[in-house]
Amino acid sequence: MEAISSPALAVERLTKSYGDGTLALDELSLVVPAGSFFGLLGPNGAGKTTLIGSISGLLRAPAGRISVFGHDPVSDPAARLLVGLAPQEIHLDRFLSARDLLTYHGRYFGMMRAEAEARANELLGIFDLGGKAQSKPQRLSGGMRRRLLIARALVHRPRLLVLDEPTAGVDLELRYDLWRYLRRLQGEGVTVLLTTHYIEEAEELCEQIALIRGGRIIDEGSPTELVSAYGGETLEDAYQAAMHG
Amino acid sequence: MSELQRLQLRGTAALAGREVRRVFALWTQTILPPFVTALLFLAVFGGALGSRIREIGGLDYAGFIVPGLLVMTVVGQSFGNSSTSLFQAKNEGYIEDVLTSPLAPWQLALGYLAGGFIRGLVAAAAVAAVAVPIAWEGGGNVGLAVLALVICALVFAALGVITGVWSESFDQHSFVASIVIAPLALLGGVFYSADALDEPWATLTRIDPLYYLVDATRGGLTGFHESPIWLSLLVAAGIAVTAFAAATALIRSGWRLKP
Repeated sequence: MEAISSPALAVERLTKSYGDGTLALDELSLVVPAGSFFGLLGPNGAGKTTLIGSISGLLRAPAGRISVFGHDPVSDPAARLLVGLAPQEIHLDRFLSARDLLTYHGRYFGMMRAEAEARANELLGIFDLGGKAQSKPQRLSGGMRRRLLIARALVHRPRLLVLDEPTAGVDLELRYDLWRYLRRLQGEGVTVLLTTHYIEEAEELCEQIALIRGGRIIDEGSPTELVSAYGGETLEDAYQAAMHG
Repeated sequence: MSELQRLQLRGTAALAGREVRRVFALWTQTILPPFVTALLFLAVFGGALGSRIREIGGLDYAGFIVPGLLVMTVVGQSFGNSSTSLFQAKNEGYIEDVLTSPLAPWQLALGYLAGGFIRGLVAAAAVAAVAVPIAWEGGGNVGLAVLALVICALVFAALGVITGVWSESFDQHSFVASIVIAPLALLGGVFYSADALDEPWATLTRIDPLYYLVDATRGGLTGFHESPIWLSLLVAAGIAVTAFAAATALIRSGWRLKP
């Protein structure tokens, strides 16, 4: 059972190599406290998506240890119930309407049909997709598909929400709406793990930020701590100094 | 049963439901073509050519080929559905929806198998609804024929899951359907009796595992068979269990599903 003090996510010496020999994670260790808004910043190829895939079961088990609220996602299916993932790439079941897509997702996670339908309708409303409930994903705009992807991650009420560049390619209005909603979720006790290339987004939302490069965490702290550690005036300055230092 | 197991079973039922729903949503691609194909086979071989072929095992030719056509329908549709649906989900990336779920590997295999199983049997039922009244002369044990078709659907839906996992391109996917499944079906004694063939064709037919399912179905529908029916069914059931276990093991390993 989950220990009361378990962090939302703890990874220890995580190492993952791909078939072509690429070392994506190099003994990476990280702790994401429960209830926090945690950012992961790093350049393309730093290992962010690999780390997220390892947490959510999309990759073959890496070496090392992963714990989600005390559960090992590799061996314990209960861990999957606790994680909601909105991946960077948008892949949505093209045979299902937006409403059915959310409903089926909830049911894959064990929700009763009526409960999943009610939750799907609630999320369609929250993400302003009510008018597109019957539309298939391929009939939606890029922004709508992105919203649907995030809604899908939330259907089963995960305690750890993992968002891999959720605002990539979306307009400013949606970005601000999403920020408001994510803050609200965090207020309700959901832990958010966010990767983004928008430094101002991380600065605005995240209480803690880990900087990742070459499959390792090179530093972490609050935005203020990182700025003071690297000098400069903004998190952007600190990020540039950390990555090129 | 634990709460987690209850949730997993609901999830499995949902995935199976999604797969079956896809079959009926795409009925012009999943049910209609095999129905038309089987009727064309019946019309050409049973009708146009049938009068020129003498009876086989006391059955007129149309009555002889109907059981095999049912098996061919089940084979093609069960295999095609499971392999295509899983390959599409993998190729288009939305398989992540179920890979991130708490479903166990055997439950994922079962969910994908369900669509193929139902599609094969529904397509065969559609063919039977037209062909059996025309060509069936009675006799046999219909329950045995249904059992043979059910086992056949399980075997080929499970093989479809394996192929869906294995395929990395449409070419690989169609290769198995064209080079493995179609010859198995055509050499499985659908259109002829193995006893009437010269060597090496008789042996080739008898080493085709489908021959025994065709023979068992024919035995069930007409009473005419060339091999022990229960032995055929037992071996086929063993193959179904083995194929399902292999599909589960592949999914558990993450091979070609997860980098």
